[in-house]
Amino acid sequence: MLLLAATAPLWRTIDQPVALKGFVAMVGLLLIAWQLWWFLGRHGGGVAARESEAGLQEITIIVDGGYSPSRIKVKAGQPMRLAFHRIDPSSCVAQVIFPDFHKTLDLPLEATTSLELPPTKAGVYPFHCGMNMVRGVLEVK
Amino acid sequence: MERELARERTLLRRKVSVAAVLTVLVMLSSLPHMLGLHALPFLPLWFTSPWTQLILTTPLLFWCGRDIFTGAVSAFRQHSADMNTLVAAGTGIAYLTSLFTTLFPQVLIAEGLPADVYYEIVAVILTMVLLGRLLEARARGQTSEAIRRLLQLQPPTARVLREGQPVDVPVSLVVVGDLVQVRPGEKIPVDGEVSEGSSWVEESMLTGEPTPVAKAAGDAVIGASMNRSGSFTFRVSRVGANTVLAQIVELVRQAQSSRTQVQRLADQVVGWFVPVVIALAIAAFVAWFLISGNPVLAMLFLVSVLVIACPCALGLATPTSIMVASGKGAENGLIFRSAEALETAGKLRTIVLDKTGTLTRGQPEVTDFERLAGGVLPADTLLALTAALESRSEHPLAEAITTYARSQLKDSALPAVEGFEAVAGRGVQGSIAGQQVRVGTPRWFEELGIDTAALQPLVERLEAAACSVAAVVVDGRIEACFGVADPLKTSSEAAVAALRRLGLQVVMLSGDARRTAEVVAAQVGIERVIAEVRPADKSSVIRKLQEQGEGPVAMVGDGINDAPALAQADVGIAMGTGTDVAIAASDITLISGNLTGVPAAIELSRAAMANIRQNLFFAFAYNVAGIPIAAGLLFPFTGWLLSPMIAGAAMAFSSVSVVSNALRLRNFRPARLPLATT
Repeated sequence: MLLLAATAPLWRTIDQPVALKGFVAMVGLLLIAWQLWWFLGRHGGGVAARESEAGLQEITIIVDGGYSPSRIKVKAGQPMRLAFHRIDPSSCVAQVIFPDFHKTLDLPLEATTSLELPPTKAGVYPFHCGMNMVRGVLEVK
Repeated sequence: MERELARERTLLRRKVSVAAVLTVLVMLSSLPHMLGLHALPFLPLWFTSPWTQLILTTPLLFWCGRDIFTGAVSAFRQHSADMNTLVAAGTGIAYLTSLFTTLFPQVLIAEGLPADVYYEIVAVILTMVLLGRLLEARARGQTSEAIRRLLQLQPPTARVLREGQPVDVPVSLVVVGDLVQVRPGEKIPVDGEVSEGSSWVEESMLTGEPTPVAKAAGDAVIGASMNRSGSFTFRVSRVGANTVLAQIVELVRQAQSSRTQVQRLADQVVGWFVPVVIALAIAAFVAWFLISGNPVLAMLFLVSVLVIACPCALGLATPTSIMVASGKGAENGLIFRSAEALETAGKLRTIVLDKTGTLTRGQPEVTDFERLAGGVLPADTLLALTAALESRSEHPLAEAITTYARSQLKDSALPAVEGFEAVAGRGVQGSIAGQQVRVGTPRWFEELGIDTAALQPLVERLEAAACSVAAVVVDGRIEACFGVADPLKTSSEAAVAALRRLGLQVVMLSGDARRTAEVVAAQVGIERVIAEVRPADKSSVIRKLQEQGEGPVAMVGDGINDAPALAQADVGIAMGTGTDVAIAASDITLISGNLTGVPAAIELSRAAMANIRQNLFFAFAYNVAGIPIAAGLLFPFTGWLLSPMIAGAAMAFSSVSVVSNALRLRNFRPARLPLATT
């Protein structure tokens, strides 16, 4: 029962006009190109954290299907506080992990949870949800 | 957090039940069509109508599958694509196509196609995905079981003496300095030092050591360990986040949130996986439309590709194994600091064992005190001079000599020392009552140009018995010498043998004279010895081994004196003392201080890495094989066409299999040796 039993009646070739075939192929290719651009292309240069008088860099990140913003820019050598506000009920995003800092943060629903990180060297530090499907990047410059 | 997860699981369970009932009804309704018949005698015609199926499937899609669709939409807005995107796109397309057919069947009939609907595909896929999620959530809950169990070890209350009267107070209100009573069979609530009474305490839940440990006044006790026979009172030394238990939990959590090198590969793949699958699915649709001209057939291939792909399996492959393995380690008293430590420990080729405190107990005792022929001072004077000088030093040998000398002396008052100086790796010197007194290694005195000929036969005899030799020189005249030996831990020999069985080159590192070191090495079965290494040179010895291509190299030491060498090694393994968990320079801490933990850690690491490799292989192979089959690549050769329903089921269970495989690590036992006592 691995395969669809009712293959035979379904397998029917239909002569489609060449124009239609060409049109479908065109639309298909455009769709492929567009979704690759949408998901993989770079969108926006990231959001810079604001700086308090004490030199602490702060930013609030909304967790809803993804991290907004997902690309966070901070300055090197200054402490930072990342506040995660989770509104997405999916348990997938109930945790956010910063592997380079060995930090896991549990995010309760409808609440803001803060993570303070020490001053850091310049570099790109990714973070992601517990299942590693939702991802963001901390850019330290 | 726990409560939220539980609530979510209950809701998910309810959704799965509802989805299952609806799916069975939809399947029944579509039975005639699936069998290629117009009608079945026991099913009324209205029940098999596409409209009935539409009515049954719609709540399934919009209530049971709601999170999948909202998740996909919000991810889409964030320019990210995940599992939800694929499932939502797959079932959404099948649902819309069927809806179109239900509303306008004549369009398809005019094309010469049967006006078939595919609601059962939507129903089965969604149910399978939800069921898979439920199973996965349950299994994932088990991966963090070890931490939960550790947290549950601490009893909720402590019996604190307040004005001499025992009062039960919540553990959170216990402060440092409190006196706490513990009766037989009770758990020790926090860390402290026994002030009165004695007992046997079982620490296996923290150290992995199976035999109970004797505790009497002055001994440290660890919170969450179990008091067996006696009653005692202890003074609290650490509470809250500073307790050993809290530190262990914190270290395990940290390790679980770090990642391995192998995971980086999986991470990169996961990043572009979903968009590529969508591209392949569209390509499959276009290709099949061009080949057959049949839009329905092309749509089925599109849906199959979308729902068979499982990025989750890739994403889960390493973290789940790391979670289970680091938890398992904690159960056995092996604390891994990071996933990378867990990864590298399995690849080790050379393991360097520090002698003192690692192979031996680290508490040297004087075995010989010999006066030399050329000496002029009486024994008592010599012992008093030596004790006065050595009591100023913190070297373990000095401690042993001081203890010995004091035990031999009647008068406890020691003469005053002026100009005390410790010469690293050599000895100590100072002047006492106008005499220049030195206690140190024979090598030092050779360097100073003192005639050590009379000492040589003694040195040879003592070193052959694995003793370290400290000579006493007064005003440039050799007066006496001490033989100091550090007894071996009983577990050392078995641990070395186990390491060799694991195929590692075992090297012993020691500051002792070559002959002494070689005798000890021979006793535990080590062939390669690097002796006469001063503490500061230990890390350069490790570096040399690494440069000679003998790496990855692990260094096993006591964590405090050996910190630079531990940091230099690819894996630094610190022998804990049971109370000192968070040793900064180490990658792995053995809480028990038992050397058999080293082979156990390496075995666990190898088991974990094998498990990760299986998971990654399975996840990659599943996707690499599944997607082309779903795209119909085999169809021209075999006539095989994978049903989207089967594709959905395969996807749901591939991530469940990955998590289940990781859970097998819970059965890990350091099989090759019983964890013997020190």
